Amino acid sequence: MRWCPSLMLFGFLAAVNALSSSGNRLLVVLEDAAEKGLYSTLWGDLEARGYNLIFDSPKNEQLSLFELGDRAYDHVLVLPPKSKGFGPSLSPKNLVDFINSDGNVLLALSGKSTTPSAISSLLLEFDIHLPTDRSSIAVDHFNYDTISASEKHDVLVLERPDKLRPDTKDFFGGEGVLAIPSASPHTLGDTSLLAPILRASTTAYSYNPKEDAGSVEDVFATGSQLALVSALQARNSARFTLLGSVESLQDKWFSATVKTPGGKEVKTANQEFAKQLTAWTFKETGVLNVGKIEHHLAKDDLTVEDLNPTIYRVKNETVFSIEISEYAYDKYIPFEVPANDALQLEFTMLSPFHRLNLTPVKQTENSTIFGTQFTVPDQHGIFSFRVNYKRPFLTNIEEKHEVTVRHYAHNEYPRSWKISGGWVWIAGLWSVIGGFLAFVVVWLYSAPTSAEGQRKQTQ
Amino acid sequence: MAESLVDVLLKGSSGQNTRGLLKVIILVTISAAAVSSRLFSVIRFESIIHEFDPWFNFRATKYLVQNGFYDFWDWFDDRTWHPLGRVTGGTLYPGLMVTSGVIYHILRFLTIPVDIRNICVLLAPGFSGLTALAMYLLTNEMSSSPSAGLLAAAFMGITPGYISRSVAGSYDNEAIAIFLLVFTFFLWIKAVKIGSIMWGALTALFYGYMVSAWGGYVFITNLIPLHVFVLLCMGRYSSRLYISYTTWYALGTLASMQIPFVGFLPIRNSDHMSALGVFGLLQLVAFAEFVRGFIPGKQFQRLLTASIILTAGLAFVGLVVLTMSGVIAPWSGRFYSLWDTGYAKIHIPIIASVSEHQPTAWPSFFFDLNFLIWLFPAGVYMCFRDLKDEHVFVIIYSVLASYFAGVMVRLMLTLTPIVCVAAALVLSYILDTYLKITPGPVTRGNLEVDTSSGLRSARNPEVGITSYFSKAATTSSIIVYLLLFVAHCTWVTSNAYSSPSVVLASRMPDGSQFIIDDYREAYYWLRQNTPANAKIMSWWDYGYQIGGMADRPTLVDNNTWNNTHIATVGKAMSSREEVSYPILRQHDVDYVLVVFGGLLGYSGDDINKFLWMVRIAEGIWPDEVKERDFFTARGEYRVDDQATPTMRNSLMYKMSYHNYNKLFPMGQATDRVRGAKLPAESPQLSTLEEAFTSENWIIRIYKVKDLDNFGRDHSNAVAFDKGNKRKKANKKKGARILRSE
Repeated sequence: MRWCPSLMLFGFLAAVNALSSSGNRLLVVLEDAAEKGLYSTLWGDLEARGYNLIFDSPKNEQLSLFELGDRAYDHVLVLPPKSKGFGPSLSPKNLVDFINSDGNVLLALSGKSTTPSAISSLLLEFDIHLPTDRSSIAVDHFNYDTISASEKHDVLVLERPDKLRPDTKDFFGGEGVLAIPSASPHTLGDTSLLAPILRASTTAYSYNPKEDAGSVEDVFATGSQLALVSALQARNSARFTLLGSVESLQDKWFSATVKTPGGKEVKTANQEFAKQLTAWTFKETGVLNVGKIEHHLAKDDLTVEDLNPTIYRVKNETVFSIEISEYAYDKYIPFEVPANDALQLEFTMLSPFHRLNLTPVKQTENSTIFGTQFTVPDQHGIFSFRVNYKRPFLTNIEEKHEVTVRHYAHNEYPRSWKISGGWVWIAGLWSVIGGFLAFVVVWLYSAPTSAEGQRKQTQ
Repeated sequence: MAESLVDVLLKGSSGQNTRGLLKVIILVTISAAAVSSRLFSVIRFESIIHEFDPWFNFRATKYLVQNGFYDFWDWFDDRTWHPLGRVTGGTLYPGLMVTSGVIYHILRFLTIPVDIRNICVLLAPGFSGLTALAMYLLTNEMSSSPSAGLLAAAFMGITPGYISRSVAGSYDNEAIAIFLLVFTFFLWIKAVKIGSIMWGALTALFYGYMVSAWGGYVFITNLIPLHVFVLLCMGRYSSRLYISYTTWYALGTLASMQIPFVGFLPIRNSDHMSALGVFGLLQLVAFAEFVRGFIPGKQFQRLLTASIILTAGLAFVGLVVLTMSGVIAPWSGRFYSLWDTGYAKIHIPIIASVSEHQPTAWPSFFFDLNFLIWLFPAGVYMCFRDLKDEHVFVIIYSVLASYFAGVMVRLMLTLTPIVCVAAALVLSYILDTYLKITPGPVTRGNLEVDTSSGLRSARNPEVGITSYFSKAATTSSIIVYLLLFVAHCTWVTSNAYSSPSVVLASRMPDGSQFIIDDYREAYYWLRQNTPANAKIMSWWDYGYQIGGMADRPTLVDNNTWNNTHIATVGKAMSSREEVSYPILRQHDVDYVLVVFGGLLGYSGDDINKFLWMVRIAEGIWPDEVKERDFFTARGEYRVDDQATPTMRNSLMYKMSYHNYNKLFPMGQATDRVRGAKLPAESPQLSTLEEAFTSENWIIRIYKVKDLDNFGRDHSNAVAFDKGNKRKKANKKKGARILRSE
């Protein structure tokens, strides 16, 4: 057992180094090593945040996402390939398996090169649709950068994204504008696992520069239906982010100044956005962790045995609490439910019998304890406490704890004399018994005398 | 010398002692024979609980022994009927479990450590020995002949009609209930004969025990009032009758209401109303008898008629009003199905789907009762000859039980005792007539003084058989019949009724025995390889066995009270995967178990039961599941490539035949039960994956997949895993689907 302490030491070291909540091994798939220099600020940022960057080419035969059936990396950043595809090690099947085993993927595309069909079919599995020609770019004649793309209008200048919905947390917001050069746009299907991070502005449309026609007739999608950056959070909370424009990560655009038609020259916020994007994808933000879950009868003197019983009775008064913390870059902080949202507890058998809002009861240094109290419904069966909290950009909480709800035992009903309605019957019962006894007494003491009297008469 | 010794032994007071001793020895031997003839299955296989229901009783008994009586009383079972659970303590007849629990604790007290399983296995044979004794007592009340009781006991001991439900391992309610039935009837006859409160109270006591043991107590509840009613109609009212019936009814009803499962039924359910009605009638008749002593005849007649009409009318109106208002529950479906054999099939398929609720085929009467069945009418005739109160009882019992036995196979069990009684009456009469070695014609009536009337020849009739030849011929033929009966009983018991049905036995081509143990193999697989809380869905037949052997929660089991829940399982089995999967998810199903006999030719498999699943599901969802869709256009139920699309897409079909063709050379897959050649390619399952298939493919277990990680359909996910490229979903068809947050 000598390896035990060393393993623990290694674990602590890893914990100190890794800022992501799920490991620091980051594979960067880069076909052309010469291009590495174009993104040096990004690599520097990532390394500063504790990632262990491993650069590899998809052409490398030895490259494998798995080692001995286990994940070899925690995160993968895929830059668009120059050639037609990625090769066998990064086939859609492998990437899906990687995500299924809790790996996170950031996939960057570029409008300058044709997206490989393998990628397109992988995205199709996630219900993300690319234009059929796979080489369209997003163009906007109103919100473009007049400095660098005065002719082509293919460098989009966009506000940093706002909250997706009023009830979600904001992980990508902030001051400043983003420059998105030659972005490959996509549209999203209507599934709840997908969420757009950055949409094109309402005047944007998709356009294939290789087609000579001056006008676009059969447009793929327009306006805010075009997503430029999107996120898929799988059911196991593994994250997949699709970035339409790999160029926006380049050093050049981290420090560029852009100017919209009729606007002022401003510096881009691409570096900040890239940080937010990688942090979210590699699980530095938006990660919820469930701590203790406790349920018990509502009573004052609780012992350890009273916690989390497996059986309740109908109409019991029950207390439920759940401890949730949120990971923010380098530490766990108490989780706060967004203003318009609610964390809910369901007490379910086939369908919910109760659906209650969980309110914060207590806050510790790095977690919030939410709780509620309710009466078990008057229905026996196998119920479960369920907390099913799935929100865009937050990892899924799906807790299910089965408990049995039993009926009243025979000695838990009130006794007959405590029920005032039963007094009539009890009185009837006892009066019959008393009457019978009285009759017996009278009979026993009166019968022989009459018999003797008769005998006397006959004599 | 020997002559005189026999004389000493058979005559006088020592002769009585000898007879008594002989009777005891014979009865003990009969009991021993009754017990030992039920041990075939233990010797051939092992000490194992049989069939389906006994597994639940066994599990409940174990719970009782482990947790004590009060916990058993309040037992909420969260491992059946998931997710509803079952208030088991309040919905079972506890008599059987409590009996074995008491035996267990007595043996422990005597420091004899016996495994509770062995007590359960051997309880039924043990009680069958007692039944033989009770039968002796009952028949003795019917006949003055000493041999009748012994014959009846012997018949009861070995007749297959009773053995079918009481072999070792058949740990079912009937195991003790038949003893209680016979003994209660004996006590009742005794009470009527003597008119004593004590015997009436004893009847009530054993009636209460019977109620605690078996739902068939309703038979007693109705038979005794009917007996009383018929006696009243025959003008045989007596204080004996009044005392015994009122004692029995009052105490017996109170006793029966102590069982939680019965509760207030005796005063609220139509099945029990006849007992109450006869109780009331008896009071009226008793009152009328009392009044008759004071009022002269003619006025009394008028008064009587008027009052009878009035009370009968009032009682009837009261009954109708109470039934309409719902105070008295209407007749249950099972009751209707007793009168109209087609009723259950139309209205309650769940009842009709049970094989033991089917009408009896006529050969099974002979199979179960052998020569008793043709002695039976003669015995009933004998009862008409001296029509005492107890003989009326035999006649009523015979008529009712014959009818019921014709309607339902399982009610053969209630017919058997009375057949034994009647046959014993006849046979003892024949033997008494033919077996007595008398030197000359017995003259009867010569001692009587009455010579005032009648013919001279009738005055001094010569009755009896004198010819030794006819005596020998008749006696020997009877003996041959008896021997044949014993041979038949042994053969039937050994071949038909001693299979545990958990373990199947078959013969290899060379004649050696081949044990098929797939059920236990699969149940132990579940026990060893699945989490303790994994929910298993199967058709309800296997619910008790899964609960007992695999110790896993089940969705439905053999306690068929919740038709909707069973129909839900039926729907999941008979629908397409896309429909079934949400049902499976909603009910937290982890594994699905099906029984498939196609490889071995085991005909009791799920595909053969499948139409019942469809029918029961159709009863609840007539729009979604249709029986017609499972038949081909020509009305055939097929599983080969002619099968209807509904059939081939049903979950049950897919689970049964999944990968079955891989056992055979290309295109040669055959189903040996239905003799059908199967389609070349195996059905594709996307929402389930095969987890286990037993050695002979009898049990197949499938694991329900979790939702897809990327929110895809399971069929798409499976296609992706196989490497098929997805076609573009929305290819310019209709309006574009826009996404909005």
